[in-house]
Amino acid sequence: MKTALSVKHLVGIKDLTLSDIELIFATADNFKSVINRPIKKVPSLRDVTIANIFFENSTRTRISFELAERRLSADVLNFSASASSVKKGETLIDTVKNILAMKVDMVVMRHSSAGACKFLADNIDAVVVNAGDGTHEHPTQALLDAFSIRENLGNVKGKKVAIVGDIMHSRVALSNILCLQKLGAEVMVSGPPTLIPKYISALGVKVEYDLMKALQWCDVANMLRIQLERQDIKYFPSTREYSMQYGLNKQRLDSLKKKILIMHPGPINRGVEITSDVADSDQSIILDQVENGVAIRMAVLYLLAAKTQE
Amino acid sequence: MQLLVKSAKIVDPNSSHNGKVMDILIENGTITEIKVKIPAAGIKKIVEANDLHLSPGWFDMQANFCDPGFEYKEDITSGMKAATAGGFTGVAILPSTNPPLHSKTQIEYILNKTKGEIVDLFPIGALSHKQEGKDLSEMYDMKLSGAVAFTDDIHPVMSAGLLHRALLYTKSFGGLIISRCNDSSLATGLCVNEGTVSVMLGLKGEPSIAEEIMVTRELFLAEYAEARLHISSISTEGSVGLIRNAKKKGLPITTSVNAYNLAFEDTELLGWDTNFKVSPPLRGKNDIKALKKALSDGTIDVICSDHRPEDEENKKLEFDMATPGMIGLQTMYPLVNMHSDLSQEEIVTKIAINPRKILGLEIPTIEKGVDANLTIFSPGTEWTLNKKDIHSQSYNTPLLNKKLKGALIGIINHDTYKGKNT
Repeated sequence: MKTALSVKHLVGIKDLTLSDIELIFATADNFKSVINRPIKKVPSLRDVTIANIFFENSTRTRISFELAERRLSADVLNFSASASSVKKGETLIDTVKNILAMKVDMVVMRHSSAGACKFLADNIDAVVVNAGDGTHEHPTQALLDAFSIRENLGNVKGKKVAIVGDIMHSRVALSNILCLQKLGAEVMVSGPPTLIPKYISALGVKVEYDLMKALQWCDVANMLRIQLERQDIKYFPSTREYSMQYGLNKQRLDSLKKKILIMHPGPINRGVEITSDVADSDQSIILDQVENGVAIRMAVLYLLAAKTQE
Repeated sequence: MQLLVKSAKIVDPNSSHNGKVMDILIENGTITEIKVKIPAAGIKKIVEANDLHLSPGWFDMQANFCDPGFEYKEDITSGMKAATAGGFTGVAILPSTNPPLHSKTQIEYILNKTKGEIVDLFPIGALSHKQEGKDLSEMYDMKLSGAVAFTDDIHPVMSAGLLHRALLYTKSFGGLIISRCNDSSLATGLCVNEGTVSVMLGLKGEPSIAEEIMVTRELFLAEYAEARLHISSISTEGSVGLIRNAKKKGLPITTSVNAYNLAFEDTELLGWDTNFKVSPPLRGKNDIKALKKALSDGTIDVICSDHRPEDEENKKLEFDMATPGMIGLQTMYPLVNMHSDLSQEEIVTKIAINPRKILGLEIPTIEKGVDANLTIFSPGTEWTLNKKDIHSQSYNTPLLNKKLKGALIGIINHDTYKGKNT
């Protein structure tokens, strides 16, 4: 097995090879055992300074990255700005260059513009990790989702995963599709036709507008959050009507012939995408996802930092 | 001025010398002799080169010179330099300035500022006041002042009623309406063709039907108003089919394509280079194939540069924030030369003759005794576009440091000769 990633930055799953993903998983396995020890910290990234730059609101992704960084003994700098105060790219480059002038080695960035991390990686010297760029990609989320499936089902290869909800505005959907396919899973997307890109099947995914059919087909259902904040116009009349068609409740779940795994990238709109009894059921691996998020992010940061020392 | 062009292959379907290799003598702005061999003795200026071709002066029917209002992107002087270096002796310039070219004041400003220059500029007036799509602009007054056509350019006229009134209103004085079709309720403004590429970028795609629905509407309106209409910047296979049928029916419709829509596929955007962000967006293989065929069979009359300078502040940005457009005057001919199936004669028809015909302008030709309005070029010459070669004030082109085939040698107009870099 190889010991270094093929990429310098983590901009998207697109850029990763299967062996990159396998390397990240193997490294995350080790870190997962570390964080379950009484002493959860390793000195791997001592003297590495990481800036978490968030131009979009985030609680869990930022905390997950921060915890991963601290457990690797990195020095951490947090910066968040509302998207409205940072409108132009010059400001983005300038902001980040200002931070880099204070000798920062890695930048973890979330931004509302698709492609912003690639743009940043092209224009600055530090290592860039994408923590979500607009409607484009959210690679660490996809990695932790696939890692969680692997942990619960033993393997990702050959598994059937349905991604349900707002596919059009979801960076999690695109990264998940690409990651799961690289690992050999079959992917189906389901949701209202207004929220599914017309040409999504070009990626090799199945499209099913009927939630029950999608659930009957799959081994794992990843119920995406409805991104009301990212929709410029109304794509469905009300959240009530959305959950009538695409909400997962206990009754629907129990009517299936087999036990499927339920995932959600969080934060949950309880009662919209899934009801509380589903989110808290034994089929739900939502909290596993959260735990694995830290291990996966530790692995990514560790491997990218190692890459700079090659 | 006395100037002798040696051994030029004449490319001009309207000339009796078309296709022949001749020497051409120009004196005081007039072609005074066309012969197989003209003695060079005593003639001060001689233009001589391998693979030398001579055609009527090229004409770009669609370029943005940004002046007044956005002079930091381009002004009339720099725009004309770029036009000269691109081989154009005439350019119709778009009204998307600030204020827009929407009254005779702006039209006269353009014409006064360019009097006596080697490149003739022909302002296109705005169709609606301030290009707001609400009220008709003073098109009659602008026409009297020298506007050659009317369009709201990249601000599509969403009101069918307004376009209908514009078509009717301009009939009495022979004004030409130009429509650039893009239904903004279907388009996303992100300038990425809807397809695999938009899915891979996670961006909402611009569907072909955003253009085609408006082309359909325009054809209905033109037929109903019994008016002439020019549909500019078509980019899809569907639009080609619609216009081909309309022409078959005998409707007085003309159309144009932008050189970048012939040269580049939407896959170029996978690298997020904002220089490829243009409107209409780069489309797929089938669209490009259909556009090429439509050029060959005459469905598309004109090729334009759609020259749109943008400074770094508007381009070196996150993709969704970058302004669409690329500069194109200096690279239009090589792109057409490299990416169409047209012969040199057909190219000259699309970039010198048809645009003037559509705008009702005098068409220069290569005959003894006529005014010399000429472009000298070499289709076979390869060259690389370097930053220092760019005469525009803006550098928003994906072709920097790229090898191109087809080079300008010089232009002649109003008794003046200018070589590519003079």
